[in-house]
Amino acid sequence: MNFEQFQNQSRLYVIGALEPEELDEFEKARKKFGKKADDFIGKCYALHEAFALSLRPAKSSDAIKERLMAMVKAKKQS
Amino acid sequence: MRGIQAGDADALSQLYDRYNGILKALILRVIHSEAEADDLLQEIFMEIWNQASAQKGKPLGWMVTLARRRAIDGLRKKQAYARAEERLQNETEQQPDAWVHNATEDEIVLSDTRVLIRKVISGLPPAQQQAIDLAFFRGMSQREIAAKTNTPLGTVKTRLELGLKKIYDGLKDLKDEL
Repeated sequence: MNFEQFQNQSRLYVIGALEPEELDEFEKARKKFGKKADDFIGKCYALHEAFALSLRPAKSSDAIKERLMAMVKAKKQS
Repeated sequence: MRGIQAGDADALSQLYDRYNGILKALILRVIHSEAEADDLLQEIFMEIWNQASAQKGKPLGWMVTLARRRAIDGLRKKQAYARAEERLQNETEQQPDAWVHNATEDEIVLSDTRVLIRKVISGLPPAQQQAIDLAFFRGMSQREIAAKTNTPLGTVKTRLELGLKKIYDGLKDLKDEL
């Protein structure tokens, strides 16, 4: 696998779309390319942010935040 | 994030105010249930509170990755797949490009970043958008996508690779513009 192919696979990897039989070869290539590979995979996670930001923000109920903060408060006190 | 790592509840409150809309939209896109999305959102922010000390990278990226994983896990665990699938199918029939056109531009005020990201995504051919949508928001494997769309596996792989590369490259250009 050359680095361009590795880059293509990395983008699939970060969204969990590599098939099991592709993972072995991907991990071998990841070791072969070392830090350069890990750095590139790290950059690919920007895709997650992009997909989330592409959606219209959704409103959640105020009760959710109240419950959350009550749980946090209770945990801090325990 | 540093405040949360230091145990400051007010920092979590601020983080919630800033990002709950983005994370809720993502969860809702995966599980298609308002009530389940609210419950999951609460659990995810609790997980953020509990795990923040170990977090080192970009906060939004980490939270989105966490929310997506939990939402897809939740979808599978609750065996709501079939029901959500049906709802998704109905929504898709009503809005052919539901992902990128889930609201009209006039209905909402989008940040510059959001507008540019949507522009990049909407520039993809519909088949590539669909493949990425199913992989990212539904957690489907290439084989599952191939089966669902009645498309050869190799074609699905090509669509995903090309589409993701275009988005990735588009994001690099976007950083230059912002």
